[in-house]
Amino acid sequence: MSRTLSQLLVSIALATAALTVAPVASADDVKMVGVITKIKMAGDGKSAQAILKDGKSGDAVTINITDDLTLDKFKDKRIVEGDEIRAKFDNAGGKNESKSFKKTAGC
Amino acid sequence: MQRNITRKLLAGLVASLFIPLGAQAADAELMKKIEAMAKEIESLRAQVQANQEANRQAIADVREVKEKVQKSEEKSLDKWLTVGGDYQFRVDSLAGETKSFTDVNAFFAAAQTDAMSNPAMMGQMIAFSGAMSRVQTFQQANAFLGANAAMIGGLMPYAAQAAIPAYKPKNETLYTNRFGLDLNMKATQDVSVTARLLMYKTFGASDEGATTNSGSAPFFADRVGVFDGTLGHIPSSSFLNVDRVYATWSNIADQDIWFSVGRRPSTHGAPSHLRANTARPGTGGTPALLVDYAFDGMTIGWAPDIDALPGAYGKLCYGRGFESGFSKALTNSLEDTDMVGLSVVPIDTDPLRVWLQWNRGMSIFDAPKMASTYFGTTMPKTNLGDIDWFGTGALGTIKRLGPGDLNWFADVGMSVTHPNDNVSSQFGFQGLMTGAFFSPEAPTSKTGSAVYVGLRYDLPSKTKLGVEYNHGSKNWITFAPAASDSWTSKVGTRGNVYEVYAIQELNAKPISSVMAKSFFRLGFQYYDFQYTGSNNWIGAPVRISDVNGQMMTTAPLSKAYNAYATVEVKF
Repeated sequence: MSRTLSQLLVSIALATAALTVAPVASADDVKMVGVITKIKMAGDGKSAQAILKDGKSGDAVTINITDDLTLDKFKDKRIVEGDEIRAKFDNAGGKNESKSFKKTAGC
Repeated sequence: MQRNITRKLLAGLVASLFIPLGAQAADAELMKKIEAMAKEIESLRAQVQANQEANRQAIADVREVKEKVQKSEEKSLDKWLTVGGDYQFRVDSLAGETKSFTDVNAFFAAAQTDAMSNPAMMGQMIAFSGAMSRVQTFQQANAFLGANAAMIGGLMPYAAQAAIPAYKPKNETLYTNRFGLDLNMKATQDVSVTARLLMYKTFGASDEGATTNSGSAPFFADRVGVFDGTLGHIPSSSFLNVDRVYATWSNIADQDIWFSVGRRPSTHGAPSHLRANTARPGTGGTPALLVDYAFDGMTIGWAPDIDALPGAYGKLCYGRGFESGFSKALTNSLEDTDMVGLSVVPIDTDPLRVWLQWNRGMSIFDAPKMASTYFGTTMPKTNLGDIDWFGTGALGTIKRLGPGDLNWFADVGMSVTHPNDNVSSQFGFQGLMTGAFFSPEAPTSKTGSAVYVGLRYDLPSKTKLGVEYNHGSKNWITFAPAASDSWTSKVGTRGNVYEVYAIQELNAKPISSVMAKSFFRLGFQYYDFQYTGSNNWIGAPVRISDVNGQMMTTAPLSKAYNAYATVEVKF
């Protein structure tokens, strides 16, 4: 009985660990939630800059975006100024290169 | 030393006696000028100080104005309120082919008509009807049928009066107006309320008669009348109803976790947005193959940030399909009908979206509450058991395939019934996918399956061409009565449905919002029914080729056609 219980507990622990696995963020990764105040597309459409107003500090943060998925959303107006964004970016050297840029989930 | 100074002073005084008088006058003039300049400088200094003070005041004033403008902007309507909506004009041209059947409603109506002039028969009919309504279970149904065999045999001659030969129903032009008003209100940080008000009416009518075969046996269970889950989704009246309203609390614990409660966005989910030409549903919504029903309920969801699974999220949903009210031990054994669901979307990007869905409907009722139907006012009278649904699907976009983009989707579903021992007395002792009218069947679990695939090709000219196909097996049952199809929800069909459509958007600059657009849509649907009872969980399906005069509550269609055109404006 106790062996079965132990096995069950170990299984639950392993399952919990598997379910809660999160990507290990590098030291330079920054996560923030903020509202877009400005989107500036590059002339060639291959990059963009978005200025987010940090929901916590109120600071304006400029993020550089180069991934096609997000750029397509800018072009199709699926992400527009005023949208609340959950962003993850690499701020090594102050470049703020976007690693994840998506609308906050809900509904 | 003292002596030397005195000598120099004296020499100076003597020398000054020799300076011309004109030079002395110039000096005086210079002194005056210097004095005037000094005064002027003093005046200028005062002026500069005054200006500096004025500037400081101006800067303070500007700052105050800026703060006021900022506060005003923060509270301005466009910061917290978004207004949008849509208008749709639609014309349907409907045609179909039925099989011969015996109309149950007409059968009892004919017997009642005779009973009106025969008091003895009337008494028997009332007793029969009363005893029939008290039957709850399969065993009681068999006992009732055994005890009333003579009565039923006596009624059988009326079946001839209720025999409906095969016919070809047709409505060449059915015009409808639909108007939706969308509101999104950001109440506080992370908390918002979303609402959609919807009006959907037929030209020249303020009821749902045009889609329910008013005055004759309806064709499908989801088009017998309008009920809570289809209000605003079937043409009925000019009333603006609340189609959706829910509050959402997002960013819970600084994570992408949300909780939402209210009348849910559980209608017209993916992939039906492709033929509707609307935006792809986000983390809200349900797979259209399994659920298309206006539920009141709640959701808790989580969108973890996993690099390998972009856009991934999962959510647990709950909805109430029927509220049974106070329990009364003697007269009301009804339970609430509830639905729970688990949705996992491991990837959600433009090129690929994958979903996995499980739902369970609990204590499924036998009929929803509906007024003024062919059967009068209907209401749930028993709970027939539970149903599980499983589904998985994917959709995506292949960009620049030829001159345009190709959208594709594939979805499969499975339904598994778990009937209890109950039968529906108001439907002749049929159970959950079991039995026929006055022919009950022992409760057994039935498994059905469905597949739904489609393509849409988007051209740079804003022309979109689509083709869809879906198939449902004999025992397939879904929960999608609010689908936009005029005949019946096509994804609930036990058989095949083929659809083609073309959308042409106007090349007009949006004004009301960045998503504003106007377009025309032309489409054609062909239903090839293989079994009866599409979208109906009461009674066992019958192969269409075997239908020949059986007692049925709905008219069995073998084929249906629907050509439609719309003018739609999104604002």
